[in-house]
Formats: sequence, C-alpha cells, structure tokens
Amino acid sequence: MRFFRSRLSPPILLLMPAFVIIALVVAVPLLFSLYTSFTGYRLVKPDSLWQWVGLRNYQRLLSDVDFWWAFGRTLVFLTVALNLELVLGLCIALLIDKLTAGQRVIRTIMMFPMMFSPILVGFQFKYIFNDNVGLVNNAIQSLGWSDVTIPWLVNPVTANLAILMAEVWMSTPIFAILLLAGLMAMPRDPIEAAKVDGCNPWQVFRHITLPYLMPFVYIAMAIRSLDVARAYDMVKIMTNGGPAGRTELLWTLIARTGYQDARMGMANAMSYASILLSVYFTVYFFRKLAAARRTMGGVA
Amino acid sequence: MNFVRGIQAALFSCAALGALTAVASAEDAANWGSFPGYTLKVKLVGGTQYEKLYTRIPEWEKATGAKVEIVSSKNHFELDREIKQDIASGTITWCVGSNHTSFAPQYGDLYVDLKTLIPQATLDEFVPGTLAASMVDGRLVQLPRVTDVSNLYYLKDLYENADNKAKYKEKFGTELAPPTTYDELKQQVIFFASPPNLYGTAFAGKDEGMTGRFMEIVRANGGDMFDENWNPIFNSQAGIDALQWFIDIYNAKAVPAGTVNYTWDDIGQAFAAGTLAVDLDWPGFAAFYNDPAKSKVAGKVGFALSPLGTAGKRGGWSGSHSFSVTEACDNKEAAASLVNFLTDYDSAMMEARAGNLPTRTKAFTDVVEEFKKSDTPYMAEMFAVWGQSLADARTPPLVPQWIEVSNVIWPELQAAIVGQKTAKEALDTAAKKATQIMEDAGVLQ
Repeated sequence: MRFFRSRLSPPILLLMPAFVIIALVVAVPLLFSLYTSFTGYRLVKPDSLWQWVGLRNYQRLLSDVDFWWAFGRTLVFLTVALNLELVLGLCIALLIDKLTAGQRVIRTIMMFPMMFSPILVGFQFKYIFNDNVGLVNNAIQSLGWSDVTIPWLVNPVTANLAILMAEVWMSTPIFAILLLAGLMAMPRDPIEAAKVDGCNPWQVFRHITLPYLMPFVYIAMAIRSLDVARAYDMVKIMTNGGPAGRTELLWTLIARTGYQDARMGMANAMSYASILLSVYFTVYFFRKLAAARRTMGGVA
Repeated sequence: MNFVRGIQAALFSCAALGALTAVASAEDAANWGSFPGYTLKVKLVGGTQYEKLYTRIPEWEKATGAKVEIVSSKNHFELDREIKQDIASGTITWCVGSNHTSFAPQYGDLYVDLKTLIPQATLDEFVPGTLAASMVDGRLVQLPRVTDVSNLYYLKDLYENADNKAKYKEKFGTELAPPTTYDELKQQVIFFASPPNLYGTAFAGKDEGMTGRFMEIVRANGGDMFDENWNPIFNSQAGIDALQWFIDIYNAKAVPAGTVNYTWDDIGQAFAAGTLAVDLDWPGFAAFYNDPAKSKVAGKVGFALSPLGTAGKRGGWSGSHSFSVTEACDNKEAAASLVNFLTDYDSAMMEARAGNLPTRTKAFTDVVEEFKKSDTPYMAEMFAVWGQSLADARTPPLVPQWIEVSNVIWPELQAAIVGQKTAKEALDTAAKKATQIMEDAGVLQ
C-alpha cells in the first residue's frame, strides 16, 4: 500500500485494472503470436515453439505466389463486397425509412440473413450454385433458357461472384440496420427547409441526407471491413479456396496452414502480413469518419 | 439392453440369433471391469451415421458403474482441429477420442499403445489388415470401429439397356459390362455421358478426397506417393497417367464441371438423383442409394469391384474410423474398456447393419448371413463385393506430414484438371512443395 501511495497517482491506480486486463487479453496474445511467426511452431509439437527460424517464414511468404494471389483477391473481395453491401444497404434503409406502416415487421424480416450461421449460408449457396443438381442451373434449364450446364463454382469469375453474392446476402442487413438508425436519428428540419426552398428529392438526398449519413457509413464500413472475415466459413464450405486456388482468400489459406497443416508459425506470419490490410482499411475509414464529422460541424 | 436386443430381434425376425447375441453380451458384460463413480471424459466424432453406436454407451455404464461424459462431439475435421489445440495448450483432460487412420500419425505420442491394454485374444478377432493399418510406428494407437474402401456402384438399367449394349458393341467391339480397368471405366463414363441429364461419373475434387482418389490410381498403375526414403515420387509416369485419367474424363464432359468442388455428399446426392451412371464410392452409401424415400435409383443399383490400373492392381484407398486412449488419461483401464466395448462384436454388428464395413472378422460373415435371412440380398451382395476388396485395401502413407502433403497436392491436381497446367507441370510443382515439407520435418535429409 505504501508503494502505491508513494509512487502512483490515484487516476493511474484506478486505470490499472483496465490496463492489466487489456494487456492480458490483447497485448500478450498479440506479442505471443508475433513471436511464433519467427518460429517453426507446429500445433502438434509444443516443443517446436522454441525452434527459432528468424525471418524464414516471412522470406518464404515474400516468394509465395499463392499467398500474394490470395492477398490480392482478398483486397478485391473486401472492396467489392463492402461497396455493394453499402449501396444495397443504403437503398434498403431509405425504402424502409419511407414506410409508414409495418416498419418493425420489415426490419425484423430484414435481419433474418444475419441470424444464419455462415456455415449454413455456405451450404445453401453451394446447393443453389451446384452445376448438376443446383437450383440456378435447374431453373435455367427448366425455363428453357439454355441447355448448357454452367459450372458456377468452377469458372474463376462466376465462382468469386457466387461467393460474393452469398456474402452480400448475409451481411447487407448490417449496413441497412446501421444506416436506418442514422436515418431515424436525423433531424427533419433541414429536409423540410430544403423542400420549401425548392430542392428536388435527389438534391435533398445528395446534399442533406447523405452528408448526414456519412459518419454512419464509415462506422459501418470500418466494422464490416474487420468483420467480413466471417466469410471464411462460407468460402470453406462452398469451394475451400478452389478449384486450383481460384477463390482462395487469406482466411482459407491461413486456416488451412494453421490448423490442417498445423504450421502455426507460418500461419501467424501470414496473419501478420495480412494485418496490414486490416490496418489500412481501419485507418482509411476512421480518417474518412473524422472528415465527415468535421463536415457535419462535429469535433473530429 | 433388453430393449435394444428386442428391436434387433423384431427387425431381423431371427429369434435364435438374438438369443445367441444376448448370451455373448452377458459374457462380455462381466469383462468390462468395474469403475464405480468414475467419470470418463470422451471426445467423439458427431453426425448421424456415427452417433447410433453411442446409444450403446449406457449399456457399458451399467456394466461398469462408470459414467461417460461426452465433452465434445464434432465432425472429424473440427475434432482434429480441437485436438491439435489441446495438444498445443497441453490440456489433454479427456481419455477417449475418436480417431482416423489418416489423422492418427499427426498426433505423435498423444495416444497409448493399446496392445498393452487390450488382450491379444481380442485383437485377434479384428480383420488383420485393418488392425495393421491402425498401427503407427509399430504402436497400436487406435482400435478401428468401421473401415472404408471404395468399389463401384452402377445403374443396372443402363447396362441392361439393349440399345446401349448394341451401340457399345458397335463402337468398342466388346460387350457392355461393368468396367474392370480404369481404361474401361474411362471409356464407359464417356460413352454414357449425356449432360446435363446424365454424366458418366463424378469424383471428389477437393481436399483429401481428391488426393486420395489420385493416389488410388497412382498405386493401381504401379506407382506410389513416396519412395522408401520418403522422397515424393507421385510425379512419376504412373502419377502423370493417373492425373491424365481425370483430365481426360473432365475434358470429355463425362463428369459435371463442378466435380472439382464436390465432396462425398455431393457425389452421393448426384448418384441418388440418377444423374451419374457409375460411382466409385464408399460402402456407407449403399443403404442410402437403395432407400426409395431418398433415392431415385433405389432397386436399380449394381455393385462391381473397383477397377484395376495399368499395373493390374487395385489402388484400394482405405481408412478406418477408430477410437484411441490418451496417454494423459488418469484411468486407462476404464478408457480401454470403453474403446473395447465400442468396437466389440455387438458394436461391429450394429455398424454393419447400418451398411458400414465392420472391423471384426466374425461380424463380416455374420452380417451377410443376417441380410440373406432377412431378405435383403442387396446389402448381402454389397458386403460380398466389398469383402473381396479388403485384401487390396491400403491406407495413405502413415506419416504425420500426410495431410500437409495432401494439401499441396490437391490444388495442383485441380489446376491440371481445369486446364491451367499440364499434368507434369502440376505434379512437379506439388512434388517440389511436398519435398520441402518432408525436408522441414526432418524426415527427408
């Protein structure tokens, strides 16, 4: 007690438990996994935790074409998925905001896709796009549009599109809910004033509604850019990164390396390389959020 | 127990056999040991086809006074992941785990050598080849509950169709009959294919399923995956020919284009939907294919032995689901007793009646008799065919690196099948990666 009284001020003492907990649950695991990325650590051989290999894992990554393809594909997937989900989510939110009756029911129904486990969504879409007994091909053939069997999950473009569609289907409601919250919290006076001044609906949306919503958009983007890795289960079920790595994303590659191959040292090196991606997206969206708040007259 | 016996008797209308089984069971009950008040923690593979056996656990609990606590029940891949995490964190607090011959080599000294816990007389009752395949480095780390090896399912009406017969004879100069070689199988699946309504066949195109099917043909062609010093040799001519077989049927559109993403369930569903002429598959599908409520091809399915390769051999890719006992277990006798119980004659018969290949020699013959008596010749015929192929059954290489090596092989096989690489390029790349894995592991100097 004497030690604390003499050396530490009350604010530091009061914050100490929070620092300790954060250190234990965040900093220590992060540092530990960083350390393992410099080792030949294999899950099934605990002794290999002390097998220091220096930069070998990172050197191998630099020359690993498959890893960089997965890195690039993940970047494109994130960009396209987030933008699509934003546009669709915004449209849905605007439509629901206009409803005068039954809004609660619609809001609840809209959240259904979020309630499904990603594994289940993966199985659903795998079946929908199955080239032999799948719904899409059967519909195309039954309606007489074509006799050709389209290998949706094989062609590099359609396979990635199918995964993208599953991801968008599952996660667009998150955007819609967040943006709807923004719309519902929005003051009506500026809109009424703009209408009185003769603005058309597009002008009202472009110059009043959208700027007001931008902080919500960037918060949603920042959350989703980190959260989109949930798509791992879905991709694992639909294609497991194949065929021939055509749909390989960082998450499928890292999970296979870490758990199936048990090469946790290498998997952690991959994770640290891919953290760059998460850091970039988070910094980018938070900067945009600060700028949007400045535009709205808030404190950045 | 009596209730279970009662159901068996009612199902198979075989009072005499039921009585005999009850006697055998009563004898066994005395041998399971006594562990009153002890709670045995187990991690078991989940899923409908595996969990029926666990309905016998209360019987063991009653006989021994112990309690079984299932601390985890997941599919094999998730269970594998969880076990690896347990090893990494040093938290092996459970005694019995489901295992598989393909996974077992990875776990090092996690499991005990069951030869020290199970009487030799009991071990002698297992199918010798199946038991031998359960050993890793001379240690019996698992007791097999069911074994798997693939043979051909085919649609009989296609083979019996007079028009098909005539066209086939005209085209190839031979009678249309179930294929005996991979060349013949290729010829026939291309002949039957009429997409999108009917394909010749489909194959597991990803994960270990793809590697396994490739390995099967490599071995049937006289090659292998590794030489005696663990150098990868699957990029030999036997390997190139094997991969070319897949490429040829893929390019001929004799398989659905999506087959490169298929796993067992996809193939099973496709064959049951009547969209595949032939299916090289596991015995567990036999009952499903013949169930009119679930399958359009019920009553039309024939069986044939898996084809021979260019070396005149069968690949016989085989594996067994099994149970193991951990070294860290605080009551290995109780754990071994449960493992013994779950693989005993009654358990083997229960697995066999569901259409799985049992691991006890006696159960193999008895279940065929039982199916014959119960007027189920379809299942009796299945067991007869699969029984013949057990002699050729061979597991994947029993090294800890097998799954890792498989994970570098199957994406390359896919690349060749979908036309991104030639067979040689793909296999050379995979062999180079496999060599690095074996070097890193210190297996290959």
